[in-house]
This record gives sequence, structure tokens and C-alpha cells, in this order.
Amino acid sequence: MKHVKVLILLFVMLMFVVSGILLVSCKDKSMKGMIVFTQVPEYSQYKNYQTGDSWRYVPQARIVALYPDKPTSFRLLTGDFYSARSPEISYDGRFMIFAGQLKQNGLWQIWELEFESMEKRQVTYFQESCIDPAFLPGGRIVFSKSMAFDSTGAGHALHTCNLDGTDVRRITFHPNADFTPTVLSDGRILTISSQIYPEKECPMLMVLRTDGTKYDLYYKDETDELICTRPWESERGNIYFIRSNPVKGETGSIFTIHRNRPLHTCIKLNNEINGSFNAVTPLKSGKLLVSYRSSDNNKYALYEFDTGTGQLGKLIYEDPKYSSMEAVVVEAHQQPRNLPSEVDLQVKTGLLMCQDINIMDEQSMNAVHSQKKASQIEVLGLDASLGIMNVKEDGSFYLKAMADKPFRIRTLDKNGKVISEPCTWIWLRPNERRGCIGCHEDRELVPENRMPLAVKKSPVIIPRHITLAGEKEIELE
Amino acid sequence: MKKGYLKLTVLHLNLIKSEIMKKFLQRNSVRYSIGAIVLLAAFLTVIIIYKHNKMLIIRSDNSSVISGTDSNNHDIVAKRQGIINKAGVMPVYGHWRTFTTRDGLPSDKAYTVRIDGNRVLAGTHDGLAVYENDKWRTYTTKDGLAHNGVVSIDVSELTGDVWIGTLGGLNRWSAGKFETFNQFNSGLPNDLVYAVICDGNDVWVATGGGAGHYNTITKEWEIFTEKNAPMHEPWTYGVSAGDGKIFIAAWGGGVIEYTNKTRKFRDYTDPDGEMEIDLQPDDGLVHDITTATSYADGILWISTYFGLSRYDGKNWNGYFDHDSGLASNFINFIRAEGPVVFICCDNGLSSFDGETWVTYKKNDNSTDGKAIITKGKSVREMPLSPSISHNFIIGVDARDEELWVATSKGVCRGELLKK
Amino acid sequence: MKKVYKIILVFGTILLLGLISYSPLHKLARNHVNYITATEDHPISCNSCHIYNQKSGPVAKLINARYLSPLNLAVSNDGKKLYVVAQEANLLLVVDVNRMKVIKKIRVGNQPHTVILDREERFAYISNQWSDNVMVINLAGYRVTDTLNTGNGPAGLALSADGKSLFVANSYSSDISVLDLQTGEEVKRLNAGNNPAGAQMSPDGKTVLITSRRALIAPYSKPLLTELTVINATTRRVTDHINIESAYMMENVVFTPSGDLALVALVRPKNLIPSIQVEGGWMMTNGIGIIEQIPDGRVVQLLLDEPDAYYADPSDIVVTPDGKKVFVSNSGVDCISVLDMDSIRSILSESTPEMLRTFANHLGVSSRFVIKRIYTGSNPKGISLSPDGKKLYVAEHLQDRIAIINTENLEISGTIDLGGPRRITVARQGRRLLNNAGHTFQNQYSCYTCHPDAHEDGLVYNMASRDMGRNVTNTMSLRDIGEIPPYKWTGKNHSIYKQDGIRFSTVLTRTEPFNPKELDALVAYIITGIPNPPNMMFNPYGRLTEAQSRGKIIFERTHDANGNEIPVSNRCITCHPAPFYTNKKMAYVGTLSETDDSLLFDTPQLNNIFASAPYLHDGRAETLEEIWTKYGQKDKHGVVNDLTKNQLNDLVEYLKSLRDPLYEKRIPEVNRAAFKFN
Repeated sequence: MKHVKVLILLFVMLMFVVSGILLVSCKDKSMKGMIVFTQVPEYSQYKNYQTGDSWRYVPQARIVALYPDKPTSFRLLTGDFYSARSPEISYDGRFMIFAGQLKQNGLWQIWELEFESMEKRQVTYFQESCIDPAFLPGGRIVFSKSMAFDSTGAGHALHTCNLDGTDVRRITFHPNADFTPTVLSDGRILTISSQIYPEKECPMLMVLRTDGTKYDLYYKDETDELICTRPWESERGNIYFIRSNPVKGETGSIFTIHRNRPLHTCIKLNNEINGSFNAVTPLKSGKLLVSYRSSDNNKYALYEFDTGTGQLGKLIYEDPKYSSMEAVVVEAHQQPRNLPSEVDLQVKTGLLMCQDINIMDEQSMNAVHSQKKASQIEVLGLDASLGIMNVKEDGSFYLKAMADKPFRIRTLDKNGKVISEPCTWIWLRPNERRGCIGCHEDRELVPENRMPLAVKKSPVIIPRHITLAGEKEIELE
Repeated sequence: MKKGYLKLTVLHLNLIKSEIMKKFLQRNSVRYSIGAIVLLAAFLTVIIIYKHNKMLIIRSDNSSVISGTDSNNHDIVAKRQGIINKAGVMPVYGHWRTFTTRDGLPSDKAYTVRIDGNRVLAGTHDGLAVYENDKWRTYTTKDGLAHNGVVSIDVSELTGDVWIGTLGGLNRWSAGKFETFNQFNSGLPNDLVYAVICDGNDVWVATGGGAGHYNTITKEWEIFTEKNAPMHEPWTYGVSAGDGKIFIAAWGGGVIEYTNKTRKFRDYTDPDGEMEIDLQPDDGLVHDITTATSYADGILWISTYFGLSRYDGKNWNGYFDHDSGLASNFINFIRAEGPVVFICCDNGLSSFDGETWVTYKKNDNSTDGKAIITKGKSVREMPLSPSISHNFIIGVDARDEELWVATSKGVCRGELLKK
Repeated sequence: MKKVYKIILVFGTILLLGLISYSPLHKLARNHVNYITATEDHPISCNSCHIYNQKSGPVAKLINARYLSPLNLAVSNDGKKLYVVAQEANLLLVVDVNRMKVIKKIRVGNQPHTVILDREERFAYISNQWSDNVMVINLAGYRVTDTLNTGNGPAGLALSADGKSLFVANSYSSDISVLDLQTGEEVKRLNAGNNPAGAQMSPDGKTVLITSRRALIAPYSKPLLTELTVINATTRRVTDHINIESAYMMENVVFTPSGDLALVALVRPKNLIPSIQVEGGWMMTNGIGIIEQIPDGRVVQLLLDEPDAYYADPSDIVVTPDGKKVFVSNSGVDCISVLDMDSIRSILSESTPEMLRTFANHLGVSSRFVIKRIYTGSNPKGISLSPDGKKLYVAEHLQDRIAIINTENLEISGTIDLGGPRRITVARQGRRLLNNAGHTFQNQYSCYTCHPDAHEDGLVYNMASRDMGRNVTNTMSLRDIGEIPPYKWTGKNHSIYKQDGIRFSTVLTRTEPFNPKELDALVAYIITGIPNPPNMMFNPYGRLTEAQSRGKIIFERTHDANGNEIPVSNRCITCHPAPFYTNKKMAYVGTLSETDDSLLFDTPQLNNIFASAPYLHDGRAETLEEIWTKYGQKDKHGVVNDLTKNQLNDLVEYLKSLRDPLYEKRIPEVNRAAFKFN
């Protein structure tokens, strides 16, 4: 009898424990389904794409969250920051990273927020500001860091690090300002990059691998319009961003390009809507979450946007004191490909091979022989020529250059006269091996299956020392 | 001895390189010393030829012109159709036209000629020449030819592929595509491919390193040398096929007969051994230094440097320039078409159907010549203007109304003469 | 009570021992897995190697399944029936389209490849690639009425207009059998390109085109040329060998209904360029070839790829009866590309020769003629249109299914389950991975691309491991390599796990590596699922010919022709012992080139070596003979310079006879139509 009573007592206790566990687990703290976005009190149209002032760095911004269909669920997430912006949700939907400035005139750093505990953790600790964070597959993040006094002349350069802030690696090395990195589904990073030196140039979309290799043009607008917001790729392969034309006083419009052919698929989506857009993010439904205002007197509010009709959908949230932008949904989403890296930091150089320097664009590709052929190239560093080298009779060259040092290449005829002006800045990561088809060539061309004569011999080492006696190679490794 | 040298000028440069030739020269026998002297003479001749840039012409005895009729008191005429395949009618060809470098041949030194439908293929010292629609087109090593010295050609009746024997390997030329078989990349016995013939799916070659055949179905090579066939030397000059048998002209070894079905050999040699004269007439092959074989209508024809042999499977007959209408005992090549055999000599072209001889010769110092028609005792000459371009004949092929010959001075085409 | 104590004691002891030994055993297993996979994070799973990699025996039978693997198909004139070649099951399946089910299974030969029907639909002809024959099936009774011998590896078939002749592309012997269907005899064998595959009769019945998959063998650095063979169907002779430049893997060909154009599916590899990146089409591009059917007609190539998206392994190609749409199956990305023929024609008419040459390397051109990409089940291969052109049937090779595509709205309207095994085995999953380009950056190529039929593509690549231009290597076969480590020509990888692991993704696929499960599956397939075909051409029954027997003696000899003993290390048999004819060790055979980083080479297996030209690590030897006549003069690669030409030929004949040990066990079965390798 005693045994039975003990058993019943044990059973009842067990029931309490189980029900307690169940009740606790039922309480959802994940914020799943909420929209997290940035609010800015004053939104300036005059942005500096080289320094990021009034564009990436905005005062008194804050990050808030709400359920789209329940405005009363509004929550301020960064009340302890002077300014915070650029929220991005982790692939499992449990974390958010953002850029935050604790005090006025303080440095911007990257922070992480866990939704369940609502605890914030500082990820980066730099002497310069860091903004525009994005998650990378493999437990790392990428962000843009201010590069004052940098030997490469960079304004802002992209860096990656672990989620705990360790193992920081710089991945862009040119006199440009690289902002708003976003990770494409193929695993590469897309960034808005503006050349600072020697001439200031309009921002364009550039793409690179997560280790900084294979940096290349992704999309460039041929008009005066500027890409002014972070691009986002939808699950259907469309990349959405806002373009504006300050010269014409035109404010932002929504544009899309397709990931399969970014250079030639750009479409404007809001042809029949007056007013201005300043941020766009794709939703899983296929619709867009946009930041829109009908006139300059209003603040930007959050709307749904139907890409099929090109019309605004329902208003999600409007705040008379703040412009709302950079909205992202708290949910798990597809992790991009985690690309392997060929970078070997033990190696101090990288290799570059060009198949035919005389290939310049689609038209000239087959008219190479009719035009003036280049017989030499000059490798230009930031402040000096790194040397001149001959190209082979098939137009190919093969060089080994110091890693992580920017350079440009221009072509010369046999008398040293310039044939084509320098290309955009190139750098090679340690142990990177890279190829190009020609010079300023059509980006949609693939190489002809022909063995370049240049690779039959060892690479020419750059920089070269030019002496009266002739060119002398120096070993770098 | 001088009769040998022009024949060998064609091949000497390659032969001298060959291990087999060196071995051949080392042999201390009458037969081989003849060959050695002939080769030396050939070598000197070539030097003279190149120095003086002219081709030597062998003088031939002028025969007195005899006019008349044959023993049956009939003019010798040819029928229009199927003449070669019809027994008893001996074709005569005239209205000769010569093609040289001026007409588009790559070289005047022609080694072989083969008729292939509406086109004619000629092997020359400087490549393969193809005559089609009154134009010559040349193919060389740049086009994929194994070597520019093209010495033998045959066409597969099954596939239409052209097989080309060169001094640097064998080519299959299939609808414009050249495929090279040589002694390094295949089972080909040797790169000196003196003769090639197609026998069904088999392609047979006679080379400086033995004879062999390539089975185009199994892709297998089988080669025969003195090690596995009744030959004295691996050196073979000619090969022909007929009635399920292959007849290989083996230098110094007479004729080697190979039966496809049994895969067995037998050889035919000169009963007189190494004697240059035929002691006992019609007792067998006239000489062991054979240059070509050709089989048609159940008759095996064999050419040597010392006369012509005919074998009907039972009886042998020997033919020489002194007792028949044969142009010369030094025979480079033969081709039998039906009952008629065409014999390429160093002093003219002969044809013979077992009864009647027709021998074509060019006159000295003119483009004219004659056809000497001999039947038994009756001999008559038919003047030909123009004639063949040169009396040194090395290749021949016949179609009913046309006879093509490869000479040391271009390729000639004769038309069938009608009454 | 004592009993209870005893039991408790025993179990207690076992538990204790288990607890004590767990840690060291786990450490042992960890080290073992780390060694095999050359990583430190691969999960410890004994099944991965010790169960899923079983090649034979009851376990193998239990864990594997016999799939159908539909490869090609034909549609009846009334469009009511499909005749589907089930390659792996050695069956021809008759499918009722209305009932959407298989109504008849006809046992055919070993690894059937193609099926075609005669005009009156009295007979179906099926090529059995591993049986070297074509079976004739009476469609009235669905019975095999005749078996016609062909060349080696019959694949594509084309029937003459009068139905009296059958043209067979012999994919292994690289020739074309012309069969007389009245006598059932092969009347002639025509010369084809390297590894011919697809065959098609022109609409006017005058011309047969035969595609090739491999490029003509040529020295490295020479331009890539792959042959399209043109046959006059009347004279039954080859009239042209058209060289398609810089392309290969032309699986199939089709004519437009008017017959003015022929279209082939093709791949444009970049094997002459150092393998330094995938971006920008630096490894492979995929497209079509267009051959004008007029004298000296143009040969134009257009890419199906897009700048950042590739459509790997184009396989089959068809044109709708109205000549307006072209469908191409892109097997490596599980999709069908739909092309607009009018746009292609306008490109042909508007473009200069220079522009057309550029288009062959231009990723933007596809936007002018590709209407849509329709995604299908795994590995779509053969495709066939209904007579009215309204439906496209797709053989989903690794899905055991037929997809039906509505050619008007270009949507999948349904699928027909052919009744293969429901479960997907680990090896099957591995096979799907090997045939899919999803694990290459931007889907540019799959393992299959360089290893068609899990063999090799006959190309030499510049792998550029350290410097560009270095390490020029010939692709190696994947057939039956499970038991012959190490791998890679340098023998650098001691296991397939290492070969296909992270290194593979860093230098080759340049995208996310296979995860552990995927790697397990891939390895299981490579080890258990890729046999060599039977050596039907040189050694079908295990009985050597006279020449092969003489060659065997030379292969195994210990003394040279002069009676001198050959050093053990320099005998053929030492490094190439049966059953795989490799001692699995590294060797120096005097073929090192200046551009090689490695000093020693892995000794390759010789099974079916006849099918692996070119030879030596960098493919410098175009034939087996050249290994010794051109590259073995110093007797470093065996003693051969004492051999006569006859003896060398015998040795080569013996080497050609070497086959997969699998067949040594089953000699009587080799030529049996239903021969199974599992």
C-alpha cells in the first residue's frame, strides 16, 4: 500500500514538472514575423558617397520592431544608443546585427542582439567606425570600416570577422569607399563602391568573394543616377535597390536587376508613382517592403509594393516624426553558399593572367588585328609606376604582384605610347590566381579555349626595377 | 645495272635511313650486292638530277616500223564498253594528254595513279594530287598527309575511304579527313608503305618492314616479316588480293601467298635460285626480286626487275623483252584489269592479255611516240601524237575508256582508240 | 535471488567495461575517420564506409536498389504510347500515355541506349550499348524477334527512309555500322569521330548526321575539334567530317522540319586555359551548334548560359513540328531550355561572321533566343515530342519518371512514374550528386561533364596547382576505382573522401563543399556503382587471341630478348599486377615534364585501358603504341626496346584485352543481355 502511495506521489510530481516545461517552452520570445527597421528623424538628400556622411552615418537613428498587422506591438530595440541603423537578421532568425553609435560623436561599431533574451553584444572594437553589417555563411559577418590614413587610400574598406569579433580580415584593398555589403545567394558579396583616387567616381555595384578575391564589376549605371541604398536579392533572383538622380533633383526610384545577367536587366519598377523611395527589401511573398513618401514634406513610411502591378500596397507603418527605412522581417531564411577560400596568408603574392590585352570590347574582339596592337603594358601603383612588361605575340601576359596592393594596368605600343587608359583598380589576395580576357573587355565574354603563350613561362614579377641595362626582376617570396 | 637507278631514286633517301636497308646492304650475296650497286647508282643519279635540274632519259632501241594487220587480219580496235573485262579484245589508248606542274600537279615525279569514280588520284613526290572537274588539287602534310611522297593508293569499295601509302606512313583519307597510321602510333610494320590495297574490311600494306593488314572492324594490326612468314627479308614491295588470297611481292623472296580463311602461307620462288637468267623457261617465277603482284580473272601476274611472270594456278609463264612485246625486263609495277595486265617498265608501258601485247613508247626528243602491237610473230607500230610523256613508268590505272599512267615526267591520260 | 545478483553482476560488468572503453574507442574511431576523410569534423558513422560502400554480397543487395534510369524514349505515331529505354534495368518500357502507366516491360540487352520506331510502327530498334547489338522488337506482340550484331558500344540509331538500312553509332569503337535489315547483316563499317553518340536522318531521307562526344585526339595546346559525321544515306558512304571547333560532348542532333538547319547540343570546355577560376565561364560553357545544310554552310555556336548562371551538360535536343521552338535538356541543372527558332534565325541572318564568332563565347546572347527554363526531376536526358508537337516527354534519368511538358504554356502538365524503387539509396543520392552541377559555382559544370558516363572526357587540363601553365593532366576515369587508392595523378589523395572533399571545392568547383552526408553518398556511388563496361571488342569471353596470348607472355616476362634479367622494378607485371593492373604505388617512368610539380606518378589501373586514350599522365601519348615508341625509348617504363614490331603489337593487343575483374567472375554472363553488375 505504501508503495502505491509513493508511486502516485512520484507520478503527480512528474506531471507538474512536465507541464511546467511545456508552459515555459510555449512562451515565444523569438519575435518571429515582426518587422525590424531603422527610423531616422531627419533624412538628408545630400549624401556623401565617399565618406558616408548623411548617407551611412546619420544622427539619432534608431531600430524598432513591430508586427505588420499590429501597430501597437511597436518596440524600440536600440533605446540605449545615440544612433543605430542597418539591422540584418541571422539565417536562423534568432539574432540581429546592426551598426550602433552609443554616444554622440562616438564611434560606430557592429552590435548583435539576441531576440530571445533581448541582450546586445558588441561585436567589433575598432578605433574607426564600422557600419553596414551583414551575415556571412559559416558564422562570420562582413561590414564596412572607415580607413583613415590607410596606405591604399581607401575611404571605407570591407572587412570580415567571426561573430565574436575575432579573426578580423580586410577584403578590399583599393582607393575606394566600399559600403553596404550584402551577400548574394551564390555566396559572393555585393557592395556599393565609389572610387576616391585619382578621380572621384560615381558609386557602382561591385562583387567579390568573401575572401576578397575575384573583385569585379557587377552593375554600373550609365546615366547620372546613383545607387543610394543597400541592394537586396530576392529568393527569385531579383536584386532590388533604390537609384536617385541628385543632379536632376530626382529622388529615389525602385530598380531591379536579375542575378543571372546583372549588367543588362535593369528595370525601373515605380513608373507610375510620384514621390520618392529610399529603401527596399524583398519579402518571401514576392512583394517588396519599401520606404516611401509622397512629398518632401512627409516622412518616409513603410509600404508593401507589388512588383507585378508596380503599385504601392498597404501601408505598414507611418511615423510623423521619423522616416522609416531598411525594414527586414524577423524570420529564418536561406543561407547563401559558403564559398571556400584560395587565400593563403603565408604567400605574399598573387598571380594575374590576361589572355589577350587587345580584346577590348565585343566589337573589337574580332577586329583586333585591324586596330593598333599593344605590345607592352604598364602596371601603375598608387603613386608610381610598378613597371613595364612586354606582352606575348598572342596579347597575353602573366604577372606576379604583391598581394593586397592596388594597381591599374594600361596598354602601350612598342614605342611606349599609351593605347588605352588604365582599367579600374585591381588587387590580388595572397595566393589568388586570377584571369582576365582583355582590357575593358565586354564583361559577358568568356575566354576562347586557347592556351596563352605567357603561361608557358614563369610570371613576370611586379614591381619591376627598370635600369638602363634593361629590366631586372626581383624576387618577392 | 643502270636500269635500277631510276626506280630507286624514288625511294633511296628513305631507304638509306632504314635499319632494314642497312641490314640489307650488309648481306654478302650476289642478289644484295646488285641491289647495293643499284642503290649507289640511284644515289649518284639523284645528285646529278638535282645538280643539272633535269631528268635523265633512258635511251631505247629504235625498232623499225612495221605496218600491217594482226594474224587474224583484223585491225586491232577496242569496243566502247567493258572492253577491259571482255576477253579477246585488246584495248589501245591514244590521244595522250600529259599533266605536269604547269597543269597544277605538285611535282612532275609521279609515283602512282588511281581512278576513283569521277576523279583521279595521283601520288607524287610532293603530295597527293586529285584531278576532278578538269582541275588538280594538291594535298600535303599541311592537310594531314603522313608524308608528301605518295607511292601507293587504293580506294575501299565498301566505304569509299582512300588509303594512301606514303614514304612516312599510311593515311586513311575519309571524306576530307586524313588519319595517319605510322610505325610509332600504330601497328603499321614500317613507314615506307610501297603498296596498299583494300580487301573487304582489311587494308593490306607492303612496307619496308614487312607486310601487314589492318582490320578496320577490330582495329587490329597483324604483320608478317621473315620471322613469321616465308620471307627472306622483311622488305616487301607489292601486295594484291583475289579469290580470298593475298599475294605479297617480297624483295628477294618471290611471292608470298596468304589464304585469308586458313591464315596459311605458301611462297613461290624462282626455281633458278639467284640466277639472273631464266635457265628453264616457264618453270616458275622468273626471279625472286619481285616488285608487284596483281590478280584478276584467276590469273596472278608478278613483276620483277628481270621479267614478267604469269601464273594461272597451275602453269607458269615467263615473259621477257627479248621474246615478247614487253617493253623492258625492269618492271616497276603492274595492274591487271580483267584479262589485261598493264606493265609499268623503265622503258615504256606494256599491256598484255595473254595473246596480244601493246607497248607504248615515247620517241626521243619529241612529244610523239608509238604503240607497238605484237601478237605472235606479227608486230606493227601505231604512231601516237602526242604520246606518253616519259618512258619511265611507275604507276598505272585503267578505266574502260581511259588509261592513266604515272611517269617520271608527269601524269598521262590516254583515251581508248576506236575504229 | 542469487541468479538475480549474477545477472546484475554480468550487466554491471558489461556496462562498466563499456564506460571504460568508450573514450579510447571513440578516440580511435575519430582518428580513423579523420585519416580517411582528411578532415577533423566528419561525423563518425561506421555505416558510411562499412555498409554503404559494400560492392557485393547480401549487405550490398540489401542496401542497394535496382533503378530503371530512363535514358531515351520514342513516341508512337498516334501519340498514345511511349517506348522508354530503362538503361539500368535493361528494359524497354511501353507506357500508355492516357493511363499514365507502364503497360509492358520488355527485357532487352545490356545497358540499352536508344530506341527508334519504323515508319509503320511494326518494329522498334533498341541499341544495347554493353551487348554490342541492336534488338528488333515486334510491336504487335512486344517480342524481340531479332538481334543484330554491331560495332562496340552501339548508341544512336537512324533508319533509312525506305526502312531497309539502319545506321548505328558505335560509341566505343568510334565507327558506324550500316545494317541491312533484310539480311540482318552488317554490310559496312564507316569511319566516325571520337565516341559517336547521336544519330539523325534528315527529313528528306538523304543525309544521316552522327555526333561525337569526344574531341579528336591532338597534342595539348592544339585547338579542340569534335567531329560531326555526314553520311549519304543512299550511297551509305561518309561524305563529310565536319569539325566543330572548341566544342565537345555533342550528345544529340536534330534537323529543323524543313531540313535547312541541323542543331546539336554541345559543351565548350576551357581545358587549354589554366584552371584558375570559374567566374566568367573560365571552366566550361554550354550551348548549341547550328549547321547550315547547304554546301559550305556555316557552323554557328550559341551559348545557352547566362553571365552568372550556367546550364550544364546539354544532352538531348528536339524541334517542334512547326519549327518554331527548340527544346534542350540540360541534364546537369535539371531543366529544359526552351529556345525560339525565329530569334535564332534572325541572329543567323543579321550577324556578320565576326559577330557569330564572338557569340560562341558570349553569355549575353542567350537572352535573345532562350524563352524559358523549365525545371524537371533529376537529370533529364532524352526528350521526345508528341506527333502534334503539343507535348514534350522528358526522361528524368535519375528520377525514374517521365515529365510531360505542355509546349504551348511551357509548364509541366504532369509526370508518369515508371515504377522504379521508391526509396533513394545512399549510392543513388551520390549518383545524383555526381550528375548535378549544383555543387559547382553558378552551376557551371558537374562531375559528369569531365567524367561522362562516370568515365573520362579524353581531355587534358591545366590544373595550375601552384603556377599557371603547370601540371597539365589527363582526366582519369571513375570506373571501378574504389579499391585502387591513391587518387589523383600525383597520388596525393589516399581516399576518395579526400579527393572529393574540401580541396576539390577549393580548386575545382569553387563553391560550398559537399556536406558530410553528401560526401558519404558520393563516395558510396563511386565505390559501388560505377563498373567498367564489358570489354566486348577485345576480350568479351576471357579467351585471349593468339596475339593477346603472345602479348601476355611479354607483359609477364622476366628476361629480355637477349636473355638478360629485367630488374623486378622494371617489369610490366611488377607495377601492373592483376586484378586492377596497378600495385597502387608511386612510380617514375621517365615521362616527367618540366611543368610537372610531382616527381612520381600514381600507377594507373589498366582495366579497359583501350577506352582511355590519350595516355600517360599528361595525355602526350595518343595511342598505346606511342607510350613506348615515342616516350619509352630509355626503357624507364618497362623494357621494350628489345622488342620487334610484331612483339610490341602483341603487347598492345594484350593490353587492349584487359578488363574489369568483375567479368572474370562471370564469364558466361558477360554477353548475356540481362547481365547485371550488382
